[in-house]
Amino acid sequence: MKQGTFVAFYLEPAYEGARQIDSGGSYVIMRYAVRMMMKKAIVFSSCVLTVFFLVCRPVPAVSQVQEVRIGDSKGDWGYPNPFRHYPRGPGYVRMSWVFDTLVWKDEKGYVPALADAWNYDAGRKAFTFHLNPKALWHDLQPLTARDVAFTIEYFKKHPYRWINVDHIRRAEVLGPHKVVIHLSKPYSPFLSDIGGTMPILPAHIWSSVENPRVETDPKTFIGSGPYRFVEFSKAQGTYLYESFDDYYQGRPKSKRLIYVRSGQPMVSLIQRQVDLAVIQPDMAEPLKKKGFVVIRDERGWNKKLMINHRKAPFNDKRFRHALAFAVDRQEIIDKSHRGFAAPASYGLLSVNHEMYNPDVPSYPFHPEKACALLEAMGYEKGADGFYQKDGKALQVELLASSITTAGQSTADRDGEVIKKQLERVGIRVDLLSLEQATTDSRVKNWKFDLAVSGHGGISGDPRLLNEMISSRYGAGSVNSARFDADPELNRLLEAQILEMDPGRRKEIVQRIQAVYADLLPAISLYCPDSTAAYHPEKGILWYYTPGGISKGIPIPQNKMSLTPKQKD
Amino acid sequence: MESVMRQKRKRIRRLPQVLAYGLAALAMLYASYSLPRWLPGDFVTAMYASSHVTLNAEQEAELRAYYTQQKRFGRYLADFFSLQWGYSYAFLSPVVRLIREALPWTLLLLGGAHLLSMCLGFLAGVEAAWRRGSALEKAGVGSMTFLEGIPEIGTAVILFLVFSLHLGWFPAAGSETVYLERSGAQRLLDVLHHLALPFLTLFLAYLPGNFLLSRGSMVMVLKAQFIETARAKGLPPLRIRYAHAARNALLPMVTRFGLRIAFMVTGALVVETIYAYPGLGTLLFNAIAVRDLPLIQGIVLFSSLVILLVNLALEFLYGWIDPRVKHAS
Repeated sequence: MKQGTFVAFYLEPAYEGARQIDSGGSYVIMRYAVRMMMKKAIVFSSCVLTVFFLVCRPVPAVSQVQEVRIGDSKGDWGYPNPFRHYPRGPGYVRMSWVFDTLVWKDEKGYVPALADAWNYDAGRKAFTFHLNPKALWHDLQPLTARDVAFTIEYFKKHPYRWINVDHIRRAEVLGPHKVVIHLSKPYSPFLSDIGGTMPILPAHIWSSVENPRVETDPKTFIGSGPYRFVEFSKAQGTYLYESFDDYYQGRPKSKRLIYVRSGQPMVSLIQRQVDLAVIQPDMAEPLKKKGFVVIRDERGWNKKLMINHRKAPFNDKRFRHALAFAVDRQEIIDKSHRGFAAPASYGLLSVNHEMYNPDVPSYPFHPEKACALLEAMGYEKGADGFYQKDGKALQVELLASSITTAGQSTADRDGEVIKKQLERVGIRVDLLSLEQATTDSRVKNWKFDLAVSGHGGISGDPRLLNEMISSRYGAGSVNSARFDADPELNRLLEAQILEMDPGRRKEIVQRIQAVYADLLPAISLYCPDSTAAYHPEKGILWYYTPGGISKGIPIPQNKMSLTPKQKD
Repeated sequence: MESVMRQKRKRIRRLPQVLAYGLAALAMLYASYSLPRWLPGDFVTAMYASSHVTLNAEQEAELRAYYTQQKRFGRYLADFFSLQWGYSYAFLSPVVRLIREALPWTLLLLGGAHLLSMCLGFLAGVEAAWRRGSALEKAGVGSMTFLEGIPEIGTAVILFLVFSLHLGWFPAAGSETVYLERSGAQRLLDVLHHLALPFLTLFLAYLPGNFLLSRGSMVMVLKAQFIETARAKGLPPLRIRYAHAARNALLPMVTRFGLRIAFMVTGALVVETIYAYPGLGTLLFNAIAVRDLPLIQGIVLFSSLVILLVNLALEFLYGWIDPRVKHAS
């Protein structure tokens, strides 16, 4: 159809020309006609050839840019293999370019990665994964179900801290590309914690690795992800990856992927030293004016006021409620963060979470209520305006430090604002600004009264509630309230892990939020704005992954941005 | 025969001095072994406690047991002399290798700025003292006193804002554009381009002190009688300035050089952070942040030994620069 139109378009001018020369001699007409015919034949054949080449030549599905540079303020996050990256989000993300998981998340939710399809059999308590037969290791060996089974066994022997394989009874290989993972008991966060987080290791390489933590063999960086690891400089904090052109999801969009250390991301972006960087929210407008695309994360990170609920008076729920009523969260946001944040839910989960409960007890700023609660506990205001009981002044110690968010450490004045707010109510506060490791150590050992702290993952899998509430799950975390005093809460936390039905799990999770907000072992303060900027010139769309990458990493470096989209 | 005896006597005289330095080195070794352990917090808490990995009690205990293996001081000493300075917990790499990777950048930035500011500061100070009372000298003293009052962080931020953010003449971060295919000369130019702003910051921070110190020493020397004698003999001014006066004003500068070496590691931390420049300062800062004991011990030990060695070398250099020191001892 197209060719016919094309030919007619070229014939019409010839007839036109022939009509014009009818007025001349027949020889001239003949010569002209022959010349025109030849001309037409040449034009026609060259056009046909062009169309042929355009249609038949093997064209890559996605054009590849030469390189993409990502800026990061710290630089060094360890070597990108499961045992040598740092246990923080940026370390995992650097590893994720090299090692693929069974499933992954893009901007819409879970998508196939190494597994094309999967299903859960409730009766057998087993997940079945059908692997993509095109998947290859970077040394071009085929990736099979045996590798998946080997990975699980290997992580049982050499624990990979990001995942807990205790719930897995065994992995059964049912063919080269079919594997069944049997659970010892139902485990609702399986897809998030194992399927979407566990990097699959090549059995033919790791089977001979005895001590993975100190193994430096370059072969231990052979994965099945879209990029091959090439080089890492600890001194410079830089990483170099090269695209794996035989990647089962198609050739990656950039030939090289480079991470560089950048102290001032905005300047690095403007100078085009980097293509993507996390920025302070204030920088968004100037960068937009310069043609950059600014992206914002959902509310996936929250700042908390940690409370030592194991000692008096903090072990009294009324005192914790009084603290919550005394803290004006909007004032903290305005004074300490120039308005770039939103109040967090007292139930801990993000307002963007599909299981978020909007009906949890809340504590809007109300100093009078705070005073009433303190007075109900027997405190009396002295002449100096501060509360006291039995002749002893009500005095608390507040620890504050610069918290690292998504790998970027930023100073704030939260501690100062909270101190002023509590003192306005009548609670005397000793503010102690410490370096983060010291604060963490004191919180960890319960040597504190109040501490400003924070963590991400609140828009990820609700297993986070268990980790951030119960000491059974979060004993090693300084952000966990480690609150085990309420049997009802403990029961609900256990139940949500065992509930495989999403609807019923949602009900339990919402109940947990309500109970937690009532008991208030820690006070959720606010969720800061997370922003990043990139230049659209290279045609790559970066985004913040809903629920975060893997277990909830709030970093806009999803490998799907550089992977050709799968066909529906 | 007599000269051999003299040499021997000299060596014997030096022995207590070398022994004193040896004892100081031993004390430093012990300090580098024990002090970092006094830091509040530990590696497992610093690394895992607020990470995405939430450890349960069992996992935490296992890691803590792995990372808190104490080494006795004797073993530490033996490892030190066999250059086995340990394995960094956080960087998962031998400490010696980490120091070796970061050291060239520190030497280039700090060593370079230190040396250049000393040479130029000394020359400018000598010239200013020689022209004492002139408008040039007054302007020099005024501007250097002003510069001395600006902290490194102030200079760094101003230079960064003007030359990097607004004018865009110099890169904002790093020590070179990494992973580019280019010739050696192009790489050198790129490294110098990246070095310019942090180097200038440190140079401007160190120059005024050197200038003011050498000017002050020189003013004192120029009042001495032997300078009067040299003038009376009709010696050329350049020779009086440098061969007679400046050489005698050099000692305080050399002492200052030795003292400033102590800032080799920590001195550039602010500048390294602002310009994201690699170096020992950043390495130490990161190691302290995660309580990476082997690495902290390694860097503290390395820098204290460098200070000791430089000061020991200066002891010998004093006598060579100013023979009066030799006679006095």
